[in-house]
Amino acid sequence: MESLAIEAAGLVKTYGDLFAVNDLDLVIPEGMFFGLLGPNGSGKTTTIHMLSTLVRPTAGTIRVAGCDVLKQPVRARAGIGLVFQESALDRNLTVEENLDFAGALYGLPRDTIDQRCHELLNLFDLEDKRHVRVGALSGGMRRAVDIARGVLHRPRVLFLDEPTIGLDIINRRGIWRFIGRLRQEHGMTVLLTTHYLEEAETCDSVAFLRQGCLIGQGRPADLIAGLGAYILELEADNPKHYIDMLSGELGAPVREGERLLFAIQDPDFQFGDWQQRLQHEVRSLQLRKPDLNDVYIWRNQPETTAAGEPA
Amino acid sequence: MIGRAVKAIIGRELTRMLRQRGRLLSAMIRPLIWLLVIGSGFGAMLQQYGAGDYKQFLIPGLLCMVLLFGAMLASLSLVYDKESGVMRMLVIAPFSHYWIILARTVSAAIAGLVQALLLVVILGLMGYLTMPASTSLFLFGLVLTALLCAAFGMVIAVFSKTLDNFAVIMNFVIFPVFFLSGALYPLEHLPAWLKLITLANPFSYGVDLLKHALLPAGATTGMGAEFSILRDILVQIGCIAGALLIACVRFSQAPVMESLASILSGGRRG
Repeated sequence: MESLAIEAAGLVKTYGDLFAVNDLDLVIPEGMFFGLLGPNGSGKTTTIHMLSTLVRPTAGTIRVAGCDVLKQPVRARAGIGLVFQESALDRNLTVEENLDFAGALYGLPRDTIDQRCHELLNLFDLEDKRHVRVGALSGGMRRAVDIARGVLHRPRVLFLDEPTIGLDIINRRGIWRFIGRLRQEHGMTVLLTTHYLEEAETCDSVAFLRQGCLIGQGRPADLIAGLGAYILELEADNPKHYIDMLSGELGAPVREGERLLFAIQDPDFQFGDWQQRLQHEVRSLQLRKPDLNDVYIWRNQPETTAAGEPA
Repeated sequence: MIGRAVKAIIGRELTRMLRQRGRLLSAMIRPLIWLLVIGSGFGAMLQQYGAGDYKQFLIPGLLCMVLLFGAMLASLSLVYDKESGVMRMLVIAPFSHYWIILARTVSAAIAGLVQALLLVVILGLMGYLTMPASTSLFLFGLVLTALLCAAFGMVIAVFSKTLDNFAVIMNFVIFPVFFLSGALYPLEHLPAWLKLITLANPFSYGVDLLKHALLPAGATTGMGAEFSILRDILVQIGCIAGALLIACVRFSQAPVMESLASILSGGRRG
């Protein structure tokens, strides 16, 4: 039987009248790479804080790494690694001093800390920065050290809250490479949140949050394939006219301002014909593969959210 | 396991303090100004009336002053640390959150003690410090008062959201506690209402305990300790325990941890 790393049922968190998280169920098997996606304010951070014992849910039950988080928060924390959106490092101490401190907080013996420190810094290409003050590192390196700090005690479950936020594209790719290596080496369960949805396509499974509610969950490839073969993107001064004109042939589009998105099911869609027909009327017209952003946009439509989840 | 963690927290605080050597030395200026300026001025005036050596009388109070500023301010730095990276490491570590308060209290007390011992050395070199009647009582008194100041600082720190108005804490906590403690004058002849306040001030008993250690002959001149040693010790231990209990319970409460979690995520709940 597959063992579960995270099991949350009926999770609710209210702040006054506001439902930050509303009746959330999560079942994440051991070893899975899971993405919790949604825009800012959708309840991702609150969910991570509840799963990692920092915030008490208003209702619901949580088991993480084999522990009841509400009844045994201290035991649960021993099996959890958490990397916050903001750095959890002391900028005045060196990389090594920070990792030593983090290791001591978990009661790790000195030589274990040394050995893991060496191993992680090598994994993240930071061995030569060992004696550098954290304040002197670049944003990307600091984030990498922070992740090393979060996994020093070999947690069974690692929470990464927006691990790439505020980083440029090169550093973002670097962080994803490190997370990949880490999973390969240690096989730990990783739950991450991000609002850069395209980055989550390497996840085994993703869940979309909107205003604290789950609005879809599944393998990224399945979710994308479920949407259609292509996305036809059309931009025009009078979108209403094109909704009326094209909905019959292409299905109802999603409208974003003056932009219309049509999900095209036909894998042999003849884009050339449409180009000829529309290119002189519209401002732009393009055909592309769908991605997780599109899945979210479709899920986020009031009329399509009730359509259920793809298998 | 918790032992290693507490040791690491204390070690980190002390490293931080020792790296700020300038601050350590400037902490010596305040008591020396009191001693050399106020002490000399009032001393000269009091000598006309045949009173004892006022500068000697000031020494226990000034040592306590250094502990008050050193330990209490070190505790109050927890408020700043609520937004720091290290607090993120601490709240997610596998021990109960009250250990953060206990470890920080001990490290703040040590920070105060280091400053007090530095002042002891300076006063010794300047010839203002006589050998204490009982060295162990003197050291025990310093430790107890340091813990008292650190524990009360911690209570303020856990109840404060920000320390934006630092002057308020200085004017409404630190200075009144110092002035109303018997550090600058004997309590015996104070008006009843003022005496009542000084008796309710736990810091008075810290000053008094050091007077026992440093001014054993003061009892005859009216310039020495005024309470019994046992009373000084029991009141302080009681107050330390009470303050720590309040600070630990408050810090472990879910809403406090929740707002801390929110601060640690940059104010976001998203």
